[in-house]
Amino acid sequence: MKYESQGIAKMYFIAAIALFVGQILFGVTMGLQYVMGDFLFPEIPFNAARMVHTNLLIVWLLFGFMGSAYFLVPEEAERELYAPWLAKLMFWIFLVAGGLTILGYLLVPYARLAELTMNDLLPTMGREFLEQPTITKIGIVIVALAFVFNIGMTVLTGRKTVINLVLLTGLVGLAVFFLFSFYNPDNLVLDKYFWWFVVHLWVEGVWELIMASLLAYVLIKVTGVDREVIEKWLYIIIAMALISGLVGMGHHFFWIGAPAYWQWLGSVFSALEPIPFFMMTLFAFSVVNKRRRDHPNKAAVLWALGTAVMAFLGAGVWGFLHTLAPINYYTHGTQITAAHGHMAFYGAYVMVVLTMISYSMPLMRGKKAANVTAQKLEIRSFWMMTLSMVAITLLLTAAGTMQVYLQRYSAEPLPFMIVQDKLAIFYWLREVAGLIFLSGLFLYIYSFFAKGKEVEFIAEQAE
Amino acid sequence: MNTDDLQLKRATSSALLSLLNLTALPVIGFIGLLYVYSKTKPNTIDRYYAVVGIKTSLLAGIALLLVTLLVILLGGFESPLTWVYVTSYFVIVHASFILFATWTLTRSWTGEKLKRQILSK
Ligand code: HEM
Ligand code: HEM
Ligand SMILES: [Fe+2]
Repeated sequence: MKYESQGIAKMYFIAAIALFVGQILFGVTMGLQYVMGDFLFPEIPFNAARMVHTNLLIVWLLFGFMGSAYFLVPEEAERELYAPWLAKLMFWIFLVAGGLTILGYLLVPYARLAELTMNDLLPTMGREFLEQPTITKIGIVIVALAFVFNIGMTVLTGRKTVINLVLLTGLVGLAVFFLFSFYNPDNLVLDKYFWWFVVHLWVEGVWELIMASLLAYVLIKVTGVDREVIEKWLYIIIAMALISGLVGMGHHFFWIGAPAYWQWLGSVFSALEPIPFFMMTLFAFSVVNKRRRDHPNKAAVLWALGTAVMAFLGAGVWGFLHTLAPINYYTHGTQITAAHGHMAFYGAYVMVVLTMISYSMPLMRGKKAANVTAQKLEIRSFWMMTLSMVAITLLLTAAGTMQVYLQRYSAEPLPFMIVQDKLAIFYWLREVAGLIFLSGLFLYIYSFFAKGKEVEFIAEQAE
Repeated sequence: MNTDDLQLKRATSSALLSLLNLTALPVIGFIGLLYVYSKTKPNTIDRYYAVVGIKTSLLAGIALLLVTLLVILLGGFESPLTWVYVTSYFVIVHASFILFATWTLTRSWTGEKLKRQILSK
C-alpha cells in the first residue's frame, strides 16, 4: 500500500462481506421455501426474502466496487485520494440507508413501506431490483455522485492510466444509468424499456468496464506483465463490450410489447455478447502464462483466473444458451433464467470483487500476502463457493429444461404449480448446494483470522 | 526442437482452428487442422499443436455428438429426462472443451508445449 487513503477500502470491504453473508442467508431461506412453502411464514414471506436477497447483492457489490476504486485509483493516479473524509462520510450514509431499507422490507408490508416513504410523490417502487423507496434511491444518487466526484478528481489531477480511465468511465456509467430508475411511466412497455436500461446496461455494459479494469489491475500486480500489453487487451475488451452489449440488450425486448425487429436485433447483437467475456478469459490466461514472477499471494491469482473463467461460463455460455429469440420464446422467465442469473452475477461481479479483496486486504493489513494457512483456507473456500455455484447452476438448468418441456413444449402442457411440484428433487439438491456455498463463505471469512507461517518471498519486489 | 516464425504461426493457427472447430466453424475448422497438419514435420512445435488440435476435435466429437446422440436414442426423443440430461451435459462439456482450447491457444502463443502449472508452486 503506497498511499494512506487507500486504506479506506478496508471498511468498504468489511461491509461488503457482511452484507454478502446476509444475501446468502436469505438465499438459502428462499431455497427452502421453494420446497417447504410455509417455512418462516408469515415472518419472512418469499417475496420479502427475494427483495432482500437481490437488493443486498446489488448493495454489497456497490460497496465492493467503491472499496476497489478507493484502493486502486490512488495508486494508479500516484496521489492520495482527493477527499478521504468524503469517502468515509459516504460509507456511513450508504450503510445506514441500506440497513434501514432492508429493515423496512422485513418489518413492514411493502405497500405500507411505500406509504411511509411517500412513494406517491415520485413513484419509483415495485420493480425488481429497484424496489428501494424513493428516498433511498435519492440517497444512492447522492452517495454515487459524491463517490464519482471523489474518484474523478483523484484521477483527473493525478497520473492518468488506461486502467484508471476505464474504471472511471464504468463508474460514471453506473451512476448515470441508475437515474433511469426515477422514470416510471404508466405505460408498461415503456416502463420495461427503462427498467432494463438500469440493471442490464449495468451488467452487460458499464460493469464490464469496471470488471475488466479491476481484473487488469490485479493481473499487472500479480504477474508483472507489461502495462502496455494489458492496456491493448483492455481497449479490445471495452470496445467489444460496448458494441455488443448496448444493442444486445434488445434480447430483453422480445416479448414486452416492443416492435418485432427487436427479435432480430436482440438475437444478433446479444449473440456477440459472449465475446468480451471470452476475451477476458483469453487475456487472463495469456498474462498468467507470460508472468514474470510468482506472486506470494496465490489466492489472488486463483481468484483472478476464476473470475475470468466463471464470468465466461455464467454470462457468455449460459447467456448465449437462451439469448436467441426462438429459444427464449420457450425459456423466458423459467429456471433457465435463474441458472444464468446466478452464475453470471457470481462469476463476473461477485468474483471480481473477491479478487480485489484477496489482493488488497493483506496489503492493507501490512503484509504482502496472507500467511500460508490463511491462503490455504481461502483457496479451499474458493473451491467450495465456486463448485457449489456450478452445482446450483446445473441443477437449475436441469429444472429449467424440465419446466420448459412440461409446461411449454409438450403436447399437453401442465400448469405452473403442478410442474413446480415435479421439480422438487432439483430444488432440494439446490438447497444442499446452497448450504455448501454458505459454509464456503464462512470458511472464507474465517481465513482472514487464521494464524500460520508467513509466506516466503521468492519474488524480490512483488507488491 | 527449434522453432522458426513459420512454425510458430502454424502452431497458433492450429490452436485457433481447434477453437473455431468447437465454436463458430465446426467441421471447417477440422478440415483446416488436417491441412495444417499435412504441412508439418515430426518433432516440431507446429506438428505438436496440430496433433493437440486434432485430438481435441475428435474427443469433442465423441463426447458431444456421439454421447448426446446415444442418450437421445436410448432415452427417447419424447422423454423430458432425456432433454434434462442432454442440455446440462452438453452445455458444461462443450464449455469445458472451449476453455481447454482457449488455454491451448494462449500456450501456443508462447511457442512452448502445454505443460506448465497454472498456479505456481
Ligand atoms: C455478467 C453479466 C450478466 C449478468 C450479471 C446477467 C444477469 C442476468 C439476470 C439476473 C437475468 C434475469 C433478469 C430478470 O428477469 O429479472 C438475466 C436475464 C437474461 N440474460 Fe443475462 N446477465 C449477464 C450477461 C448476459 C449475456 C452476455 C447474455 C447473452 C449472451 C445474457 C442473456 C440473458 C437473457 C437472454 C436473459 C433473459 C432471460 C429471460 O428471457 O427470462 N446475459 N441476466
Ligand atoms: C453469490 C451467490 C448468489 C448470487 C450472485 C445470487 C443472485 C441471485 C439473483 C440475481 C437472483 C434473481 C434471479 C432472477 O431474477 O432470475 C436470485 C434469486 C434467487 N436466489 Fe440467489 N444468488 C446467490 C446465492 C444463492 C443461494 C446460495 C441460494 C440458495 C440456495 C439462492 C437462492 C435464490 C432463490 C431461491 C432465488 C429466487 C428465484 C425465484 O424468484 O424464483 N441464491 N439470486
Ligand atoms: Fe441482459
